[in-house]
Amino acid sequence: MEKSTSRLKVLAILVALMFAALTTRLWFLQVLASASATTDVGRQSARFVETDATRGRIFDDRHRPLVLNRISLEVRVTKDQLDDDAEGELLRLSDIIGIPVREIREGLDSTDYYDYQAKPVAYDVDKDVSFYLSEHKDEFPGVEVVPAAVREYPNGNMAAHVLGWVGQITADNIADTKRFKDYGPNDLVGQAGLERQYERFLQGRKGRQKYLINSNQEIVRQLGEVPAVPGDDLVLSLDIDAQRIAEQALADGIEHTRGIYDESQDPPGYLKANSGAVIVMDPTTGGIKALASWPTFDPSWWVQDLSKKHAAMVYGDNSGAPLLNRATQLSFAPGSTFKPFIALAAEQHGLASFSDYYPCPPEYIYPGDTTTVFHNWTTANLGTISVEQALKISCDTVFYQFGADFYDRYNADRLGKDATLLQDSLRQFGFGAATKLDLPLETSGLIPDPTWKAQFAKDHPEVLLPDEQSWLPGDDIQMAIGQGFVTITPMQLAVAYSAIANGGKICRPHVVDHIEDPDGTTRPVTGHCNKRTLPYTQAELEYIRNALATVTQSGGTASTAFAGFPLSEVPVAGKTGTAQRPPFQDTSWFAAMVPAYDPQYVIIAMVEQGGHGSTSAAPIVRQVIEGLYGIDSSGVVDGGATD
Amino acid sequence: MDLVAGRSFANERRPIRHLDPVLLIATACLTIVGLLSIYSSTHRGLEVLHEDPMIYVKKQVAGLILGILLLLIIATVDYRFFKVYAGFIYAATVLALILVRLPGIGSTANGAQRWFQFAGFQITPSEFAKIALILMLAAMLSELRTTEPMLPDVLRVCIVSAVPMILVFIQPDIGTTIVLVAIVVGILVVAGTRLRHLLALAAASVVLVALAFQLHVIRDYQIARLTSFLDPQNSEDVTKYNRDQAELAIGAGGLFGSGYLNGVQTNLDFVPEQHTDFIFTVVGEEFGFVGAAFVLMLFAILIWRAIRISYLSKDPFGTYVAAGVASMFAIQMFVNVGMVLGIMPITGIPLPFVSYGGSAMLANFIAAGLLLNVHMRRFK
Repeated sequence: MEKSTSRLKVLAILVALMFAALTTRLWFLQVLASASATTDVGRQSARFVETDATRGRIFDDRHRPLVLNRISLEVRVTKDQLDDDAEGELLRLSDIIGIPVREIREGLDSTDYYDYQAKPVAYDVDKDVSFYLSEHKDEFPGVEVVPAAVREYPNGNMAAHVLGWVGQITADNIADTKRFKDYGPNDLVGQAGLERQYERFLQGRKGRQKYLINSNQEIVRQLGEVPAVPGDDLVLSLDIDAQRIAEQALADGIEHTRGIYDESQDPPGYLKANSGAVIVMDPTTGGIKALASWPTFDPSWWVQDLSKKHAAMVYGDNSGAPLLNRATQLSFAPGSTFKPFIALAAEQHGLASFSDYYPCPPEYIYPGDTTTVFHNWTTANLGTISVEQALKISCDTVFYQFGADFYDRYNADRLGKDATLLQDSLRQFGFGAATKLDLPLETSGLIPDPTWKAQFAKDHPEVLLPDEQSWLPGDDIQMAIGQGFVTITPMQLAVAYSAIANGGKICRPHVVDHIEDPDGTTRPVTGHCNKRTLPYTQAELEYIRNALATVTQSGGTASTAFAGFPLSEVPVAGKTGTAQRPPFQDTSWFAAMVPAYDPQYVIIAMVEQGGHGSTSAAPIVRQVIEGLYGIDSSGVVDGGATD
Repeated sequence: MDLVAGRSFANERRPIRHLDPVLLIATACLTIVGLLSIYSSTHRGLEVLHEDPMIYVKKQVAGLILGILLLLIIATVDYRFFKVYAGFIYAATVLALILVRLPGIGSTANGAQRWFQFAGFQITPSEFAKIALILMLAAMLSELRTTEPMLPDVLRVCIVSAVPMILVFIQPDIGTTIVLVAIVVGILVVAGTRLRHLLALAAASVVLVALAFQLHVIRDYQIARLTSFLDPQNSEDVTKYNRDQAELAIGAGGLFGSGYLNGVQTNLDFVPEQHTDFIFTVVGEEFGFVGAAFVLMLFAILIWRAIRISYLSKDPFGTYVAAGVASMFAIQMFVNVGMVLGIMPITGIPLPFVSYGGSAMLANFIAAGLLLNVHMRRFK
């Protein structure tokens, strides 16, 4: 062991020498020569160049393009980086790109953007302009020509409300540091519609090239590259053909309606028909086949930053608010389109029977309250009728009675679970809550109940007289014909009629069918029809479908609108609705299921200030059905003025 | 139970009571420095890729847990057990080194065939070859009839060492080959090999290496990497870049460093392979001379304890095992830090316990386990 001790000393000495060498070198590098290293580190730096990801495209159900990308040569100006003589520089630039300097100036001064953001001032410039500017870079600090990928719309303004638009990221977006954390100041962001809803899929991920540069800003070497990942494509349930038909029918219908003089309005006059919506939905899947909203706009207006003219057309006082999607973003009283749901609720709770008969007098008075008279839409006494007939001719007084019966149930048990039977049944159909459709800013409408009314009376004491502030018989009676405080969106009505059509299933409606990754894998979206099933028997739902099929037949409220329509080939079940909305003209509704006995489509039309349901909405739906089934169109028909 | 002067030493002599706390603390400190440095050098790059910035740290911790388990297992079994099975362990390792060369079994990266891909883990047999060689040589030399190895013994040692060395060298992995050489030399010196035998060995090695260059067994890129520190101005671009950036990072650290996560070179990812071979640059830049010297001191403590354990061992096998481990830690530390500081060639040797990497981590913990084992059972 003695020897090995001395040999271990040899090992220890070798190791000690190693440490001596390392420590000496470390001292030299970190203490003696540190200053020069620090300078050298300061002289070199990394420059990151971001490469844009191509935004995902949007296709219809048969993969026909709705939104694509194309390259536009843009001249961009960064206000912060302009020459000291900015005015002179902009004048020279104005000469080259042929845009008045005043316009460039105005664009740059816009408060929508920060000064460090490169602001596009000219789009689709000539290659010559691009070459000139890149060859004279020194004369134009802060000016660059960029090949930008911009949105292209092969079908013009079709489905504008569904697609939405993209615009350069706004100051408001940038302020939202959570959602737009990874965005740069020149990024395009979906600002409405699917472009907004699916922003995180469409955006893709930017690439990044990293360069080592020296103090002269020269690139020494490329250090690495993270390639850009293109955004995902959206494949919709929307069908371009159905969409074209729906948009055409809505536009034609509104134009036609504006030529109708309606005596029954207060005051009588030409119908204003200032807005409207059409939805075509597949009741078996919840897929939206078409969604039209009027007035409309063109998403390509945002491709080259919104011009003054276009801004006035979409935001101006007389623009009619075309950006609003009337199918989902506004809610209206549903009128008589509500009656099938009331009938089902009344039957389920034992207030009505589909085998019984009910009187249909011209007036209804709630027992004990002779001061309030509820009128039927006609002054004729229509005798004693079945629920089917009550739906066919849309007898209000039959439903007043059902509403009153619901009120009695409430009155008998104000705090119990029977207190809001009617509201609960309507909410089961999806009313009063957002449908969770995949389009942004959906409104939920309102199913009023005693709690809501008490709160409303508290918040708005000026609206309701003191004796009107509690829940009254009239609240239930009005709701039974889709009047009063109740409001719904056309999309909610489409979901509810789909449930009648598909045997009682509530669908989550969806515009996007699936999402396709750049590498080809597909992901379905979360729209389906098997979540909730309503508490109605198939026989009950079939009874309603059959009853509604008589609405378009002789004697029904939509018989005039469907006169001459080949119902024997394509039977149509439908319901008219006329909702009063003083001081405005009536809201016109029509909800349809085709073919009536095995529905493939649920079609909803709504025309604001469009008069009776049969006047404007029913003819629009007829025109849509004619288009979908290739039936010779008779043009816009006169629907008469029944309900 | 031993009885000395009528007293029972049973309790005192239970091996578990004789762990080496200094060794354990030094090892723990080095692994913590490693985790901090790995996070510092990788989190930013991972954030850019929208990946979990902790992913490397998490993987290293997983390796660490496995390493500690191995350390405990190795320390529990009496080290003389390994002497009995040294031949078997050696043969298994040589087999693994051969298998890793076979296409379809071993995996290739950067032109080198080095590891097995197994259940998501990379297993690098050359890391375990170090341990196997230590055990094999210690077993051979502890069974000599003479007090010191004679020429035939030295030749036998050379042949036994040459097999794994050549297999590792042709992978090619020059770094590990250097470590294997250092292990052989370290154990031979401690075993009492005569100076003239050692010198003859050195001469033979020089001839063999020269021959290897002549026959182009060594690839061009390896020559470039090996020689760039001798001629920094004319070396190949990438190698010079690695070396320059590493030195700048160390130099920029100064006396006290830029502070944790504040290193410019580290944050901008200028130093290549920073979480593995060049991890010392993170310490150098962010903790300065003070931090770097502290890490060197931890290594000094580690190696001192290894040599001390070699000295305390009750039998030659334990002495040689500990000496082999000491040589292994010392050469790895010296070549790695020397490379970062520009005084040694660039040869991918990881810094023990600090660099990111699973197999090396496991091999180092096994080595530490062997040291503890010898220390715990030092009483006759």
